[in-house]
Amino acid sequence: MSFKTARLIFLAGTLSSAILFLALTWDTHRQVRVLTNADRLSDRVIAGKRVFQKYNCNDCHTILGFGGYYAPDLTRVYQRRGEAYIRQVIAAPDKVLAASFRKMPHENLAAEEIDRLVDFFRWVNDIDTHDWPPQDSASRASRSAARLMSGTTLSYGAALFKENNCFDCHRLQGVGGTSGPILDDVGNRLSVDQIIKVIANPQQLNPDYQMPAYEASLSRAQIEALANFLANQKGGKQ
Amino acid sequence: MTTYASQRVAYPYFVLSLLLFGLQVALGLWLAINYAFTLPQDLVNVFPFATARAFHTNLLVLWLLLGFMGGTYFMIPDETRSEIYSPKLALVQLILLVGTGVAALIGFLAGWTQGRPLLEIPFELDLVVVAAALLFLFNVGMTLFRARNWTVIQGTLFGGLVMLAVLYLFGIPFYHNLSIDWYYWWWVIHLWVEGAWELVTGAIMAWILMKITGVERRVVEKWLYVEIGLFLFTGIAGTGHHYYWLGAPKYWLGVGGIFSALEPLPIALMVWDTFRHVRARQAEIKNPIVWTLAVGSAIYHFIGAGVWGFIHTLPAINYYTHGSQVTVSHGHLAFFGAYALLNLTVFYYAIPKLKGLDQFKQTLSKWGFWVSASSMLLMGLAFGVAGVIQTYLERILGLGYMAAQAQMQFWFKVVIGCGIIFFAGVILIIYDLLTLKPQLKTSSA
Repeated sequence: MSFKTARLIFLAGTLSSAILFLALTWDTHRQVRVLTNADRLSDRVIAGKRVFQKYNCNDCHTILGFGGYYAPDLTRVYQRRGEAYIRQVIAAPDKVLAASFRKMPHENLAAEEIDRLVDFFRWVNDIDTHDWPPQDSASRASRSAARLMSGTTLSYGAALFKENNCFDCHRLQGVGGTSGPILDDVGNRLSVDQIIKVIANPQQLNPDYQMPAYEASLSRAQIEALANFLANQKGGKQ
Repeated sequence: MTTYASQRVAYPYFVLSLLLFGLQVALGLWLAINYAFTLPQDLVNVFPFATARAFHTNLLVLWLLLGFMGGTYFMIPDETRSEIYSPKLALVQLILLVGTGVAALIGFLAGWTQGRPLLEIPFELDLVVVAAALLFLFNVGMTLFRARNWTVIQGTLFGGLVMLAVLYLFGIPFYHNLSIDWYYWWWVIHLWVEGAWELVTGAIMAWILMKITGVERRVVEKWLYVEIGLFLFTGIAGTGHHYYWLGAPKYWLGVGGIFSALEPLPIALMVWDTFRHVRARQAEIKNPIVWTLAVGSAIYHFIGAGVWGFIHTLPAINYYTHGSQVTVSHGHLAFFGAYALLNLTVFYYAIPKLKGLDQFKQTLSKWGFWVSASSMLLMGLAFGVAGVIQTYLERILGLGYMAAQAQMQFWFKVVIGCGIIFFAGVILIIYDLLTLKPQLKTSSA
């Protein structure tokens, strides 16, 4: 290869790539308004983004998959956890995550700041990320539930338990988080009806409960299936 | 031993760079402890993981940049056959940058932050960085233009430095739209490490290889052209591999996927190039550690950035591994291979010359290299295993974030073990470089 050819490779390679990249950047700007629902990007959402940056949330949590890998991704946190849990955990992480082996700093946010953060997460929740992240993808979750139930050993209730991220907080047969009660023998402590009440609206039983209410996101039949499954957890090994 | 008096200004850059490197690694160990053990809430409230991570990553950027800048000041007098335009300005620039660094670290502790990973430093400090960058470009530019002795190496270096400074500007504003924010965040981070930094380090490495091997300039520069051409061809449009899931159009999966799959090519060429130049050497290599580091950097660069990057950025895999410990594994191996080892190559080439040593004792440096390089490889693998566990449990089985993290604890403890050994290797290197001893057996001619 001659020196001139080498220089030509350099010029052609750099220019072609840069032109393609800049052209697609221009087109991305055109399309991103729709993909991110920019019409709903209100002053409150923007104020929420400022709060998100002010407390450096992003150096522990990823959002859109970017940032620190120390804590759960926040892209779909609004859908996964619901507004009530988001408010609770930001206001009193020391209490909500008291049993968790990983801690979140207690930053003493003003009520107004928490409101704006919730606005921000609600807006982020609807960004079209091509169905990322997989763990929060509704279509993948239903496919995965169908796959699980096609196995003979798994009940509908067990599939619902997994698909609704109960393992995030609860431990069952040694698997799962520790911020909620261990459920290995929950059937000895609570009846089916009591479990239904907890799942549907825990705060009605005790306003201090940190668990989100599921009566809005799950049907009555689903909550019953889940409660039946849990009432059968009586401490024995499966 | 240095031909030009103004080359000496590189030395304080190297010393500060090394000390910040040590501090960066110490904080890395602290981060690993955060992962593997439960810390008391009171401690987390005052020194959270987020702050420690901001320390770790900002120190990384600062020590690497100070190393590149010192390397540039050491190299351009020799390349242009002239003194640096103003060594005093170079010192002012160093004080500004290190001052910014110290202010930023203290600021992070007090919550003074822009809150964007790696670009945490607040707007006011951004302005100081821009001022320092302008001083640097002015000083280097004046030296090059005054000498009018242009070479491909000089052009590549200066082009890379200008690109580096211009891209930094895209990271300064507050963006309203989170997706646009991350879109331009990658103009700084990706186009730095897979663009501007490759130009700067490609030029410095080409120059060092030419110096230690005595291979003809025209040959070195020809291959430098091909290398940086391929780096920029694959790297610029390859930015798309960060745009898969952030709210950008779907064509980025195709564009990013194809261009980033080609990204190992220039690195492979660089490895081959390095080997060929070393084999075809005309001069006797006096300090073998320099080419051990040069070859080590090239191979490590290929594994960490090339192979790991290739696998991690295939869209079908990245859907599951994006933003997991797999990313951490790739980040550590790639940064250590491509940039940390390259800076160490520069330090081991330049510092002996600045101290007037023709040959120096190689024992400590060899230990330092092998201990740090092998422990970092193991650490990268441990992060990788943790990442695969996370990908499977959290993203495929859907067990939830903390449930997956609980199963990864063991591997974070392995990371701490590797980190302690790595830290020891780095301390050896820092100590050795600051106290180089002449090789007594051979009397230099």
